[in-house]
Amino acid sequence: MSEGTIEHMKESFHTDTIYRSEDVPLGCIPPPEELEDTLHGLMKLNGLIIRSLEEIAGRGANAVTYRAGKKFGHEVAKYFRKIDNVEEALEELSHILHGQYTFEAWKPADRASYVIQENGTTFIYLVFHDCIVRQTLRRNGQEQGGPLCQTLFGYVVGAIEEITGKRAKLEIVHTGPNACLKKLILM
Amino acid sequence: MIDIHVDEDACNGCGLCVKDCPMHVYELQDSTAVPVKAGDCMGCLSCHEICPTQALEHRGVYPSRRHYIDLRVCEMLKRVI
Repeated sequence: MSEGTIEHMKESFHTDTIYRSEDVPLGCIPPPEELEDTLHGLMKLNGLIIRSLEEIAGRGANAVTYRAGKKFGHEVAKYFRKIDNVEEALEELSHILHGQYTFEAWKPADRASYVIQENGTTFIYLVFHDCIVRQTLRRNGQEQGGPLCQTLFGYVVGAIEEITGKRAKLEIVHTGPNACLKKLILM
Repeated sequence: MIDIHVDEDACNGCGLCVKDCPMHVYELQDSTAVPVKAGDCMGCLSCHEICPTQALEHRGVYPSRRHYIDLRVCEMLKRVI
């Protein structure tokens, strides 16, 4: 690389901006609509991390990411009010997750209640609509339901456990291109 | 409530939607997919993706946000189409 090229590169980073320590940025720079390249870069990076983790840790990758997500869920939700009622807790959680994931409680047409009891277990079906994990996986041509999905499961379980003070488990029922069906098992 | 329409002329009766749907919304009747339990559809649109003849149409589905569409590729496609 010649000196001229280096100088040319350096020039693009030179500005006359005076930046003071009290200048706290109050918005994204650049504005969100100009962040497409950044978003794609981030999605590629996430996909690569997950792919490598799968190569190295094999099936253990799911446990690692689930644990990470669960810890994150507990951390995030500990600042929220504690609620005993699971349905109210889910509403609270949808506020916490808003912008990253949107979900709704769902039931088959023949069921009277969203809280379903079957074979001694109590569960609620959740349909996840907007999901940055699904977007990332599809962006990179990766399979759904793997370690990156486990991060989200852990996140939801951790947050629900923190809000309700009860233990919970999440299971994937189906993954689709537009929505995913999950089962929140209450213990 | 999601309303599902199957284009009977386009459907080739492969049964992939019947196998793939987790809520067993479809049934094969006279070699055509029929949405017998449309009320159980949660709008995952797996059937759309798997249908080789694009014979399905869903109304009332919440379309999830798509961040993965590459605008440059779309621009290129628009020029071609």
